[in-house]
This record gives sequence, structure tokens and C-alpha cells, in this order.
Amino acid sequence: MNSDIPVSDTPVPDTPAPDTPVSDTPAPNTAAPDTPSEAAISASDTPVPDALTPDTPAPDSPAPDPSELAAPNAPTDTIGSHPTPQPPQPEVTVPQVRLKGEDGRLLLLLPPESDLPSAMTWTELWLQLKNRLQAGERFWQLNSPVHLMARDRLLDARQLQDISEALAEAQLQLKRVYTSRRQTAVAAATVGLSVEQQSAITHLSQTEAAGQVLAEPLYIQTTVRSGIEIRHPGTVVVLGDVNPGSSIVADGDVLVWGALRGVVQAGASGNSRCMIMALRLDPTQIRIADFVARAPENPHSQYLPEVAYVASGGVRIAKASEFSKERLSP
Amino acid sequence: MSRIIVVTSGKGGVGKTTCSANIGMALAQRGHKVAVIDADFGLRNLDLLLGLENRIVYTAVEVLAGQCRLEQALVKDKRQPNLVLLPAAQNRTKDAVTPDQMRKLVNALTKVFNYILIDSPAGIEMGFQNAIAAAKEALIVTTPEIAAVRDADRVVGLLEANDVKKLHLIINRIKPAMVQQDKMMSVSDVQEILAIPLIGVIPDDERVIVSTNKGEPLVLSQTASTAALAFQNIVRRLDGEKVPFIDLTAPNDDLISRIRRFFGSRD
Repeated sequence: MNSDIPVSDTPVPDTPAPDTPVSDTPAPNTAAPDTPSEAAISASDTPVPDALTPDTPAPDSPAPDPSELAAPNAPTDTIGSHPTPQPPQPEVTVPQVRLKGEDGRLLLLLPPESDLPSAMTWTELWLQLKNRLQAGERFWQLNSPVHLMARDRLLDARQLQDISEALAEAQLQLKRVYTSRRQTAVAAATVGLSVEQQSAITHLSQTEAAGQVLAEPLYIQTTVRSGIEIRHPGTVVVLGDVNPGSSIVADGDVLVWGALRGVVQAGASGNSRCMIMALRLDPTQIRIADFVARAPENPHSQYLPEVAYVASGGVRIAKASEFSKERLSP
Repeated sequence: MSRIIVVTSGKGGVGKTTCSANIGMALAQRGHKVAVIDADFGLRNLDLLLGLENRIVYTAVEVLAGQCRLEQALVKDKRQPNLVLLPAAQNRTKDAVTPDQMRKLVNALTKVFNYILIDSPAGIEMGFQNAIAAAKEALIVTTPEIAAVRDADRVVGLLEANDVKKLHLIINRIKPAMVQQDKMMSVSDVQEILAIPLIGVIPDDERVIVSTNKGEPLVLSQTASTAALAFQNIVRRLDGEKVPFIDLTAPNDDLISRIRRFFGSRD
């Protein structure tokens, strides 16, 4: 798998790239970055919403040291590649437990099983499910029927029972299990759930069709804590804080009604028109499509709601109040 | 031939990560090419102590999954270009990696780096097994407390069983004044139990906490501190130099007299 792993003599390109386009007018009160390519996230005190901070477009000038600044799923070609929008990833690659409303029922989608090291273990899947259930209570009707889309994941009777109980705690009823695995189907039947066994092919074609359009926004009410990663093929709205050590990867926008302190990526499949907004924008790192920006070394004393977006080849930050006036009005 | 050293302890909170960060940085300052690997998947901290958290784009898990190349995941330290960090994934657990995969990663790094320092998680389960899989040497970190020493002893046994034979002991967070009053285990008490060669004694120092919170290893600091000196001495000893141990016995003394004694006798 890692046949090309040998590291070159210069394992990581050094930070400053000579051709880094830096905005000429560093904003007053903006913590001045110590290198030209230092991407800074800061702006609340500045009058002009645009071109607020010197910041760095990703692929042409590797700002954070890891050389490749493209989206994590991006094809790993050489440094200095141009930001090419990614084709939408098929939904299959999102290793995430998802809950999705459809025709008055709730679908619980489990990530597919695979031999990759990135495949989730049952423990990880279980943690994610519990997190997701706790974060979303308000967003579904009580006693809604839930259909479990297990895809090709092997689940034993005990695990199905656990899922069913976890759903019951959140006032949801597990009604039906869809699976492409015979063993899972048998296990579900033993637990007393109605089962529908699907062929693996139908499930593949379904997911590919879904990959073209953004999924409906994911609404969660929780503190996103260290170690939690939320991936969603659409917009993510968090009512709560996003703590350092956590990450949100969304194909659409990311809105945080709270403090954003973790790593957040919007437009993960390549759409640089996506935005990140937070009541308090104090992130470890933000990425929009292929662009990456880091927080300035010196933190702000005062925070106002801010919006991060991509303009003229870099990530920009604007005060939310001014952003909506200047950018969104025609 | 590069040296692959795991920093481990058994017990948590004794200073493994602090030691990894400072020793890695001090090795790099001496001109070695150093890679520090965070093997603490799910509870990574080494990036914080090195102040590199906001530079992480890829982690070891993505390298293993083939989603990026190894060199893309290596985070270079701006202050010290000889040092790189291979970060652990924060959103996974220890089971996300196997000892075989760890060996593969480390072996790929040996082609470029002289020193590979692996920061082990606490405990002796999967994460520990991963951390020691590729190691040829180990630095055992302990504090002068019964529980820490007991766990360190267990770890020494496990390392020997796993063919990591070159072991060295670091005693961290010693309080000379308490030792003198017989309220704390002394260096020799600890050594008597563990019976592995001592490579360093690090005094308890509040500045360690400050440097940890700032993400700036103590050895980078402009102002001298005994703890930083102790880390630098460990590194010199790793390099094969004979360095006398700092005399920590006298309480409330100033740095000058410490240094004077340091050039004088060996405790």
C-alpha cells in the first residue's frame, strides 16, 4: 500500500513561499503574522470587510507545514498544483454514522465495512451513534420509526440489540433493517426486527446518485468535543461550541452558533464558495475547499461573530454584521 | 543507522510527552535529523506541547489508509527545521493502527532521520504495543512515586519480552528538598527497584507547566533552567557523551552554584 512512502530529503517544504500573494494592507489590530505566508484569522476590529488579513491561498504557497493543502481527499499530486475542484466524492467514502429524515421515517445509515485502516471499528461506530443521538434530540419527532441501513456491515444480534436500545433511549423505534449481508439479516431476524436483504449492487447505485447533490443540512445541538469528527455531505449547523481537537468536514457551509475552536473544513469536495461562520471564530485551522488558514499567533481580546470565505485566492475573514451587508446584498 | 527510541512509562501523567518534546527538540538542536511520532491515537498531546497543532493537515491514519503520502503528514517545526512531527489521529482509537503498520511507518522514516522518537500512550494495551513495535531502544520515564515505579517496572519487563533490550531510565519531577527530608523516594531508591541504567534526572519545575501551555519546549527557552539543562544532558548522554549528573541536593540554591557544582562533583 505504501510502496511510495520513502521520504525525500526535504520531507516538508518550508513555510514561506516567495510568491505568496499577501494582501498589501494588513488590517490594523490584526495580529501581524511573523512570516509573510502565515495565514491569519482575525479581523473583528477592522472596518473593511474584505482583504482584512494577510492570508494564504493553499496550493501555491504551502502555509501550514504539511505540504499538501488540498482537501484531505484530494488526489495527492505534487505541491504547487492548482486548486482544482474535486468531483463530488461518492457518499460511500464518508466514514460516518448518519441520521436522515425521509418520507416520515428516519434512516440510520452506517458506514460501509471495508479492509482499509480507515474503516471504523464497532466501538468507534457505537460512540458516533451515541453522540449523534444525543446531539439531535430536538430534530425529530418522538417515536419516529427508524430504518437501519446497515449496508455491507456485519452486525451480530448483540450489536443490533444495542442499536435498538440506544434508539429507544432517544425515543426512537427501530422498525426495519436493510442489509446486504446474510449474517446480519439472520441476526436481525433473531432479535425480532423485520429485515430486508438488498444486493450490494443496488446499494452502490443508490449512493452514487446521492453523491451529486448536497445532502440536506445536518443540524446538531451539542458541544463537539475533542476527538469527535463530524463529516457530512452537506451543510453542518452546530448549536454549541466546537472544541479544539475536534473536526467538522462538510461539503457545504459550516455554521457554528457558539465558539469555533477546532478544525473546520467547508466545501470539502472542492466548492470554494462555501463559508464558515461562527459567533466566535477562534479555530485551530480552517479550510475552505483547497484553501487553508491558521489562527494568528496572538489571539484576540474581543470576538465578534465572523464569517470566513474565499476571495482573491485566499481565505478572508469578515465581521458577520458587515459581511451580510456588503457581500450578500446585490 | 538511525536510532528508534520509544518513550514510555506505564503510568499516565509522569511526563512522557514532555520528555519526548524536549528530548526531540534538544536532539534536533544538536544537528540530528529527528522525527517524533505521536503514538497516542485518540488522546494526542505531543502536537500541543510542540505548538504544532494548527499545522496538522494529515495524520498517520491517513498515511496508512493511502490518502496521502508520508511526507505530507510530517509537520515541520518552524523554529527548528531538523525536527518533524508525525501526528496521531485524534478522532480514532488505539485500534485504528496495528503494530505491523507502525513498523512500516517507522521503517520508512529511518531512511531520512537519524533519530525517531516514539511517544507512547499510557497503559500496556494496544497503543503501547503499537508504540514499541518498531522500537530498538526505550526511555522509561517515571516519577519518584511507588505507583509510577511499579508501573515502570512492569513496562521494563514487557519491553524486555518484546526484545527491546537497550533501556534507559529518566526520573522526572524530583523534589530535592523532599528527598533530603526523606519524604520522597530518592534517585537511588528508584534505581534499586528498576535496575536499569539512569540517563537523566529532571527536577520538578513550574516552568515546565508554562512551556507546556505555551507549546514551546523548555529547551527552546532563552532563560536557563535546571530542567532544560537536564534534558540537554540526557541528549548528550544518548549521543554517547559522558556527562556528570546535576547535583540537585541543595535546596534553595541559585543557578550559579548549581552549575559550579555541576562542573565539580558527580552525585
